[in-house]
Amino acid sequence: MADAALFLSDLALGVLLGCVFAVIAHGLNLIWGVAKVVNVAHGEFIMLGAYGAYFLNLWFGFNPLLSIPFDAAIGLGVGVLFYFGFLHRELRGKESMDLQSEMVTLVSTFGLSLVLINTAQKLWTPDNVGIPWSPGYVVFGPVQLPLGGLYVAIVSVSIIALSHVFLSKTYLGNAIRAHSQDIPAAQLVGINPTITASIGTAVGFGITMVGGALLTVWLPTGIFPAMGNLYAPISFVIVVLGGPGKMWGSLVGGLTLGVIINVGQLFLGNNLSLAEAAAFLILIPVLLLRPEGILR
Amino acid sequence: MLQLEGIDAGYAGTQVLWDVALEAKQGAMTVIVGPNGAGKSTVLKVINGLLRPTRGKVLFQGNDITRRPAHERTEAGISSCPEGRRLFPQLTVEANLRLGAYAKRARGSADETLEYVYRLFPRLRERAHLKTIRLSGGEQQMVGIGRALMAKPLLLILDEPSLGLAPKTVSEIFQKVRELREGGLTLLLVEQNAYQALRIADFGYVMQEGRIVNAGPPDRLLDLEDLRKAYFAIP
Repeated sequence: MADAALFLSDLALGVLLGCVFAVIAHGLNLIWGVAKVVNVAHGEFIMLGAYGAYFLNLWFGFNPLLSIPFDAAIGLGVGVLFYFGFLHRELRGKESMDLQSEMVTLVSTFGLSLVLINTAQKLWTPDNVGIPWSPGYVVFGPVQLPLGGLYVAIVSVSIIALSHVFLSKTYLGNAIRAHSQDIPAAQLVGINPTITASIGTAVGFGITMVGGALLTVWLPTGIFPAMGNLYAPISFVIVVLGGPGKMWGSLVGGLTLGVIINVGQLFLGNNLSLAEAAAFLILIPVLLLRPEGILR
Repeated sequence: MLQLEGIDAGYAGTQVLWDVALEAKQGAMTVIVGPNGAGKSTVLKVINGLLRPTRGKVLFQGNDITRRPAHERTEAGISSCPEGRRLFPQLTVEANLRLGAYAKRARGSADETLEYVYRLFPRLRERAHLKTIRLSGGEQQMVGIGRALMAKPLLLILDEPSLGLAPKTVSEIFQKVRELREGGLTLLLVEQNAYQALRIADFGYVMQEGRIVNAGPPDRLLDLEDLRKAYFAIP
């Protein structure tokens, strides 16, 4: 019986954690889909979002939920800068990414990742910090859930639902989706590709940094400059699992990974690295059987 | 309504068009015919703004639009259904059509135009909530033309609307194109299917190896002995 309770509890925690994973992957998915850029520095923007939440807590006593609008605003700004400072020159006038642009963006986002990690280590030391926020627990039968994780999961699902509404119900959102599917066709219906690509990139960065802030709830002492190395690969796996360009795919992939990592630890002797390895292993059957992602 | 003057254009250093000049007159259907690889689609890209010419001018309603980007040309009233249709595969028929009315000049009346497109192609109303990737070739062509019409064009450009379609569907599509022309729309049509295209046209251009080699009323073009042999495969 005790084992069953432990399993249920890990399952529930996995679902809650998976919701946050989904948000982080959602940001990557948007940047990938709209700007056609594989952002190797993705993990570092998660890290910046987490530090944003940390400093807002340190200076003003904000809890991670209150830091969302600030992280979102910073993320949008960073996204616009990233697009116009760097991507625009590479993407302008192109129907799709050619090999050279792909190499340029891969190498330079890799470089950006190193710069961000090292700058963060210089500014904030390589040591772990954390946000002391524990709003208590709620008990469902044999399962005890942290309220912080529950709030964050609700916010996460709302963010994904909101972005879904934006992308499918508004002219601008539909234009962004059209751009991600066929750039010349989007231009021919009158869509300015610079506007859709820059806004899509900005929203992607905003969501990524908010994801970093939400993640801090699960990291009471685990914010550090190189933390992106842990969460960027998870994001890539989720996007591939859910199917690139599919917005609900992020949620399905995120939940899958959250559950596998949490429940996996139960069966793999509390070994986090092994559980993460298991999460990557499921990519192999998925890529073999459904290369377009779990969702149709 | 539209004039090209002395257009040279190409891709990545390879010149495809040499000194192309043509005109699409208000209220008429102009057709460009010619064999595969003659540069017909490239001419349309120069007109809709997806390709910038290396020399020459594009004039629309008397304004020089040579350097205007593609999305601004749609806003000005040039609307294209490109080669291969290029629908948004993951969006529904209706979402594709509504995106056609993205231009500000068309957005306000999107509901009425959508109703007009559904009356023109009743089958699209039945398929409204399907992703376009699930449609037949003919239905996809209807969505392509419908999406271009949603922009309330002054000039409608169709690139090879018969490409890859069954003969019966081709006749159906040509019938709709003729209806549009009779409704007073200015059309510019590119076709490999020269015989069928010229039969419904008001004026024709013949392209070969990146140049315009003949122009005139369709019946005269259809009578040219060498054209019949070269392009229409009629002995």
